[in-house]
Amino acid sequence: MSDIIRFLLSALFTLAGLFVTITSVLGVFRFRYALNRIHAAALLDTLGILFMLLGIIIALGFQVASLKAVILVVFLWMTSPVASHLIGRLQLTTDEHLSEHMEIESGDMLEEIKKEG
Amino acid sequence: MARKNEHYEESLLGRLDRWTQSGESGLDQRMMDDLASPPPPAASLPQKELERRMDRDDRMKHHMLLQEQATYDRIRTWGSVRGSRFFRRAYIVLAVLFCLALIAVLLRATATLPPFGNPDNPMHNDVARRYIEDGMEETGAVNLVAGMILDYRAFDTLGESNVLFTAVCAVLILLRISKEHSDATAMLELEADDRMYEPQDDLILQTMVRLLVPLILLFGIYVILNGHISPGGGFSGGAVMGAGLILYLNAFGFEKAERFFTFRTFQTVSVISLSFYALSKSYSFFTGANHLPSIIQTGIPGKIFSAGLIPYLNIAVGLVVCCTMYALYTLFRKGDL
Amino acid sequence: MSGSMAGAYTVLYQGSLVILAVALLLCLIRAIRGPQIADRIIAINMMGTLTIISIAILAFLLEEGYLMDIAMIYTMLSFLAVVLLTKIYMGVYRQKHAGSDRPETAREHGEKEAGQHE
Repeated sequence: MSDIIRFLLSALFTLAGLFVTITSVLGVFRFRYALNRIHAAALLDTLGILFMLLGIIIALGFQVASLKAVILVVFLWMTSPVASHLIGRLQLTTDEHLSEHMEIESGDMLEEIKKEG
Repeated sequence: MARKNEHYEESLLGRLDRWTQSGESGLDQRMMDDLASPPPPAASLPQKELERRMDRDDRMKHHMLLQEQATYDRIRTWGSVRGSRFFRRAYIVLAVLFCLALIAVLLRATATLPPFGNPDNPMHNDVARRYIEDGMEETGAVNLVAGMILDYRAFDTLGESNVLFTAVCAVLILLRISKEHSDATAMLELEADDRMYEPQDDLILQTMVRLLVPLILLFGIYVILNGHISPGGGFSGGAVMGAGLILYLNAFGFEKAERFFTFRTFQTVSVISLSFYALSKSYSFFTGANHLPSIIQTGIPGKIFSAGLIPYLNIAVGLVVCCTMYALYTLFRKGDL
Repeated sequence: MSGSMAGAYTVLYQGSLVILAVALLLCLIRAIRGPQIADRIIAINMMGTLTIISIAILAFLLEEGYLMDIAMIYTMLSFLAVVLLTKIYMGVYRQKHAGSDRPETAREHGEKEAGQHE
């Protein structure tokens, strides 16, 4: 009985994780600007991997490998926002037509962004 | 750190370099000085006027001198223009021919090998069976690959660590500009110019890297120490540790990284690790393939302090690889270690 | 994975491996097509994360616990790659455009920095 419950929980989490993954990849394709695509990519890094690895942790049970999976999720949660921040900064410094995609408040702000990055 | 050869310009290689680059060479200058005794008289007067003023003997000598100079000019310009072109084309043709010859030799050698899977092949001897069946008892390592590269064939791994060390030595000789030589500060300023435009002191990155680098180094140490129990070992664990140090360097800058990793650190760690490995496994130079009976017991397989000398050799190799990766990165970025 | 539900687990996780492989291919297409550099770096990061999930699933299917270590190494390496790529490309871009459009800001920016930083 507990086997079936474990399987159902793990299948629930895995299917939810697959749904999030497909949504994220679809988002990276459909959005038209790089800064919008970061939103879609961050979905995969945080929620997608949480659900999929929760499914695996439940399926594995109480082993050393499930502890390593928990450490993996925590590590990825720590590094993924920093990666998104750096990519956003890159896009902001190297974009030629920035004012077409977003409102910039004053004229000096554009120069400051391009100088400091 | 290489010494400069002051007389490179006049040496044989220097002259060869200048000849292939189609520039002026000292050889031509000396030839010209040898032939330079009569100054060319055509500087002041045109040719026809000069010839009318000379008598017959002088005219013939003048004509021969002009011919000599014309021939000499042809020789000199051939050396600088067409000679180097010929040299470049001949080099390409010879390189292609050499590669084709090497391909032919290698294909011929491969064709004489016995067919694949033949049970009479010399490869099907007892060695593989012995490694697989008796490996865990003789070496004490659960991970049979680690047992093979650090116990049965430890001598080959000594060669590999030496290759890493040689690579770093070569890059150091070519690229290192240390701060002790005062005429190199100008070149260091130029190198710093490259990195002037990069983003520095990103606060978000620094906050997270302060948390992440100890984790990465700890994970690298875990991979090194568990080399004989699970896949990993010295080479991969050393690469992970090197990656952690490179991340720290990127987030914080060279000044902060040099507080704990200088050239002396690199020297000390590399030389001590490599000497330890060499001292413990170079008896194979004298005994051939026979092992000496080891003092350290093999212990219970599966624990960390088992498998004889393997954990210590893993640590030595891991330290060498970590220092090598970090040294190569900073040498290519900054030119100093 | 041994037990009464072994077949069901196999179907579930092998199906999810197939879907992850298709997603990997689509990310590769975005990495090739993306008109700017940031698109490509995003796609490479996503491909790394999809690979981590695949390795974790394989660690469960093959019952080898040590494959999780490989997934951790992959995480670290993909993060390091993003950090290095963004830094170097920002430096290259600003150096290329420093002399052309804004010479005064480039010069004072250069003089402000000590030049010893990495």
